[in-house]
Formats: sequence, C-alpha cells, structure tokens
Amino acid sequence: GLVAVRAAPDNRISENVEKSIKEAQETCSDDPVSGECVAAWDVVEELSAAASHARDKAKDVEPLEEYCKDNPETDECRTYDN
Amino acid sequence: MAVCTVYTIPTTTHLGSSFNQNNKQVFFNYKRSSSSNNTLFTTRPSYVITCSQQQTIVIGLAADSGCGKSTFMRRLTSVFGGAAEPPKGGNPDSNTLISDTTTVICLDDFHSLDRNGRKVEKVTALDPKANDFDLMYEQVKALKEGKAVDKPIYNHVSGLLDPPELIQPPKILVIEGLHPMYDARVRELLDFSIYLDISNEVKFAWKIQRDMKERGHSLESIKASIESRKPDFDAYIDPQKQHADVVIEVLPTELIPDDDEGKVLRVRMIQKEGVKFFNPVYLFDEGSTISWIPCGRKLTCSYPGIKFSYGPDTFYGNEVTVVEMDGMFDRLDELIYVESHLSNLSTKFYGEVTQQMLKHQNFPGSNNGTGFFQTIIGLKIRDLFEQLVASRSTATATAAKA
Repeated sequence: GLVAVRAAPDNRISENVEKSIKEAQETCSDDPVSGECVAAWDVVEELSAAASHARDKAKDVEPLEEYCKDNPETDECRTYDN
Repeated sequence: MAVCTVYTIPTTTHLGSSFNQNNKQVFFNYKRSSSSNNTLFTTRPSYVITCSQQQTIVIGLAADSGCGKSTFMRRLTSVFGGAAEPPKGGNPDSNTLISDTTTVICLDDFHSLDRNGRKVEKVTALDPKANDFDLMYEQVKALKEGKAVDKPIYNHVSGLLDPPELIQPPKILVIEGLHPMYDARVRELLDFSIYLDISNEVKFAWKIQRDMKERGHSLESIKASIESRKPDFDAYIDPQKQHADVVIEVLPTELIPDDDEGKVLRVRMIQKEGVKFFNPVYLFDEGSTISWIPCGRKLTCSYPGIKFSYGPDTFYGNEVTVVEMDGMFDRLDELIYVESHLSNLSTKFYGEVTQQMLKHQNFPGSNNGTGFFQTIIGLKIRDLFEQLVASRSTATATAAKA
C-alpha cells in the first residue's frame, strides 16, 4: 500500500517523459527547426528535470528516519542529548 | 525582523502635531509636566524610534535546467545553518524552499504561459515571451522592501500555473532560474549574482547520466533536446553571464586527453573585481599569475591529479580574477591542504570550507571544483550579507541623527 502511493507520482512523470519524447519526435519529423519542434523538445527537458528531481527526492528517504519522525518515543528512535 | 534604534533629540514641537507617523519612523513625544499648562508650546525631548524593517538581501542564481542549481542551493543554505524545506502544508508541488534565514524561489513560477500555452505560441520556457518580468520585478521588489507577496506556482508535473502561495520576506532571498539577470529592473534589485556556466560537452555528459535510466530516452533524444533548445539558450540565457558577479564555468578536464565521461572536471571561478563587499579569493599572492600542482612530497594524488591556476583576466570587458581547479579530490587531507593556501575565503575558522564539504559528501560535485567553489561562494555570500546588514544599520543611524 504505502510503497505504491510513494511510487505513483514518479511513474506518472516517467510516463509523461516517454510520451513527450514520442510527441517531439513526431513533431520534428517534418521540420526539425520549427517553433513547434523546439517547443516540444523543451517540454521533454522540463519533464526529464522534474522526473530526476522526483527520483532524487525518493532516494533521500531513509526508512528509519521516516519512521522516527512519526514515532520518536520508540526504542529505536529515542535520542538524548545527555 | 525589525531593528529598532532609539535616539533622543531635543526639539520644540507644536502640540497639534505631537504624533507623527509614517512607514519607517514613529515619533513618541513625551509631554513633561509643566507649570505653564495652558500654553500650546512646550519644550521637551522627543524620542525618535527608527524601526527600519531589516531589508532583505537578494541573490540571483542563473543556470539552465539540469545544471546543478538545486545542489548549489543546498550548499548555500547549509552555510547559513538549518535545512531548507518546502513551505509546510501548502501545494506539494511548490518550488519554494524555506530555511531560517533563506528563502529560495524558482523563477519558473513567473511563467506567463503554461506548458500548453507555450505549445500554442510555439515558444520555449527560455523565451522571454513565456515569462512575466513585470510581475517578477514587482514581487521581488516587494519582498526586498519587507512586504509579503502572493506568488504563483508553476507546477512542473502538470505544466499548469497553480494558485499562488504566500511568501514572507526572508533575511536572504535567492531567486534561481533561467532569467534572474535578464530584465534590467530585476537585475538592479540583486545584491549579488551568480551564473552557472556548463559547457556543452559537460552538459551532454550530465544529461546522459540523468536521463538514460528514464524510459523512452536514448542518446539521440538527449542530443536532440539539447540541440533544439540551444538557439534560444544562446540568445536569452547565455548573455546574462556578463552581468554576474561570479561565473562558475564547468569544462572538460585537460588532465586526461579526450575525456568524455564528464567525471573529471576543470572548474573556473570567475570573480568580478570592484564589487562592493566582495573580495575575490586568491591563491598565494594576490594579482600574480600562478599555476600550482599540489601533488608532491607533501601530498600524494592518484591519477589524474589536481592542478590549480590563478590569475587576473578580462571577461566581457570587466576586470576579473580567475581561480581554476582541474582534477578530483581523493581524500580529505587534499582538501584541507588546498584550503590552507587560498586567501580571502571569508571563513570564520580554519578548515570551514573542508568541514562544509564533508557535511555533504554525498552531494554531486563534492570531489571536484564544482562543490569546492560553490561552498566558497556560499561563504562569500554570508560575508556579503553580514557586511551589508552592518552598513545598513550604520546608514540608518546616521540618517536618524542627521
């Protein structure tokens, strides 16, 4: 359950990246320097950047840290300054 | 944050105008118990309390997407302490990062055309036509003057302009994106500006690393995307570097012949001379031209080693000082050894650059000049911030006394 929820937005972007690349390739098949073509590749760049940011965010998640945010009183999470 | 200073100024004031209030100054007039109660004129000391809202310092960071702006931002906010996080409880796709001292806003939020609008108009996000510079100017100006603003949110996932979020004026405002130095009015508001200049070879190598794992991408699609955006990039983004106080140029290494991996880098920090409150970093002797290979008896380096260069130069007609690092760090002792030979680093203690780098060993660029120079610029910005605040409170005091 939890894992699927977390993975969902990432997959959505990934699908959009794939779609945008196909669209750009189709748009550019007639005229590779047209405004439409350039705009289409710009969309690819924007989505690729968003996908990579989402990946980095997901990578940063430490399972124990996440758990301790919600359960600071448990044995594995308690820390004392002195 | 309000800084209040109280000055006692003996004046003669008419009772009718005993309370004078404007934005910046509040005059509190003390009425002394006087024997001559029926006269309208009394002489008394008046206390001037100047509560100048501490002005926000604005920093501009320009770079193309996928060129490490966010890593730079994390290094910068870390110098000021505390973690930068998205605004709590707001739009989950907000581009803003907030820490105790610093607020980072992404200039994509000032797109005037959303993804579909750009498709219809056949323009890229790099095109000034896709951006609302009037709103950018107004909101950055308002924040600089200490007023909160309702800033739009450009949603990178949906490609739509979302309802605005409230941004409070921070101590340090960083505006990052494609066009922080494009509009002359916005440029005037910047107290310091940085341009991240990634050469085409390195950009290509980085985007391969970033995108090859993405479904649908191939070498051809990555190449096509870079190539097709290049005319707009050269026309609208690249010229901004002439206005930057510091340019960080990232080039392929010269230590390995024909290297195309983009892992070993030659990084140049081009620092403008004569910028107020900014003293360029130098190596050994200020103003000389020096080439330095720190590897030798005191330091063992693995292949391909490290090479530093330093010297004066001109950049777009401006006097600049360039510090260059080619190569890669293997171990910590190399970093502290290098740090000890650089001057004007604006550190608060010996080894602060090394300590900052060690804090974020997992960030991209921590073993080469990109991370090293970004950390140094973070310290220079802290120094600039402290000097600006000090000079402004002196100026306020002088103005109040006059």
